[in-house]
Amino acid sequence: MIEWIILGIIVLVVLVFFTYFNRFAVLGNRIDNSLSQIDVQLKRRADLIPNLIETVKGYAKHETAAIKTVTEARKALVAAENVEKKVKANEKLESALKSIFAIAENYPNLKANENFLELQRELTTTEDKISYARQYYNDSILSYNTLCTTMPGLFFANLYGKKKREYLQIAAKEREPVKVKFD
Amino acid sequence: MKMDSTRRINFDDQISRNKLKSFFLMVIVFTVLVILGYVISFAFDPGYFFVIMIIAIIFSVGYILISYYNSDKIAIASVGAKEADKLKYREFYDLVEGLTIASGLPMPKLYIMPSRQINAFASGRDPKHAVVCVTEGALEKLDKKELEGVLAHELGHVSSYDIRYMTFVAVMVGMISIVSEIFLRSLWFRGNDRENNQGNAIFLIIGIILAVLAPIIVYFVQLAISRKREFNADASAVKFTRYPPGLIGALKKIKKETEPEKKVSKAVAPLFFSNPFKDIGSTHPDIDKRIQVLEKM
Repeated sequence: MIEWIILGIIVLVVLVFFTYFNRFAVLGNRIDNSLSQIDVQLKRRADLIPNLIETVKGYAKHETAAIKTVTEARKALVAAENVEKKVKANEKLESALKSIFAIAENYPNLKANENFLELQRELTTTEDKISYARQYYNDSILSYNTLCTTMPGLFFANLYGKKKREYLQIAAKEREPVKVKFD
Repeated sequence: MKMDSTRRINFDDQISRNKLKSFFLMVIVFTVLVILGYVISFAFDPGYFFVIMIIAIIFSVGYILISYYNSDKIAIASVGAKEADKLKYREFYDLVEGLTIASGLPMPKLYIMPSRQINAFASGRDPKHAVVCVTEGALEKLDKKELEGVLAHELGHVSSYDIRYMTFVAVMVGMISIVSEIFLRSLWFRGNDRENNQGNAIFLIIGIILAVLAPIIVYFVQLAISRKREFNADASAVKFTRYPPGLIGALKKIKKETEPEKKVSKAVAPLFFSNPFKDIGSTHPDIDKRIQVLEKM
């Protein structure tokens, strides 16, 4: 009888060790995946730009300054070697795009162009997805670090040599609720 | 995150609780069906005990497996929904894709159900086999942020394994209706048979009690659990979108709405975003209460 109880306890302890090992693995993978998801979306965004430039050139040739800023921002985005830098480059691209879309307001033909509208929609969608990916990355780091710094996870973290992960400087911008005023 | 200041929900606990409860429901369904076979074999002819038992086991395993693996299809078919066209419903796909990124869930299959009401539901056995279905009314009447809130709420059900649990609740409700049917019918058969011994009479009484009480009990259990689930799914939605006003806007629009729903059967009502039957406020918490909680987040 005693042997069985001891065996049961041993099995239970082993299971707990396995469970915690797996939890670290799962949460760690989640962080890596969310990071690569950001990368995927950034790449898609970069791929959309040349098309957009072509379309804009067709209708608004003279806006060379704005076009140039976008092209350069895209170049920086493609050349950036890690996600952190890519995210920064994307922020520049985003503001460059804003000015292009503002300019488009002055060109009714461009504004009505099917292709242009489609690209504009795609770019907005990818931007939304990037901010979601950043948010998920943030959440993933948070749950990993919570596991690492609270008991009983802290004990296993020391045992398996897992350390708190550092946030990259790509924390999601908090989306502020839109305030509607009625006067 | 503003959520920390209010009630904290442990999402991992919620998942394991749902999985465990689903498992228990499955065991209950299996046991009840096998006991039913046992009772029937004694009530009618003990000589066929083994045959009836084998049939009962095969039947219950088959019933459980078929409903488990087809829960999504059954739910979709029962409301007459069709798979959403990727080109036609671009925004719908884009929003769900964004939310799957925010939640780390796999992309569910998307369906559209012909109804003027603003509503939505999710089903399936796990996140990999999930379906999300919205009404035409919801796509039409909600703006982008509101629709996103509703979809995030549905993905909340998916991520917490509520969908699996609800599947088993539906399986159990189905089972109980089968059991009550059989008992009530067996009453009719017994009418001609005057040689009953006392044992049969006891079975009969148990049967009648079961047949009458069971559906009522299940109904109330289902009501109690789905209310809490709605609040949790609302919280998940906020976790995914970080934007309570979207969901609040959708709830306010639903509150103002007066479209009656006729196509939905009562059995699937708990799956929905808001109660399709406005007159009997039961499976879902009060909309005002939901809005109140969301406004605090």
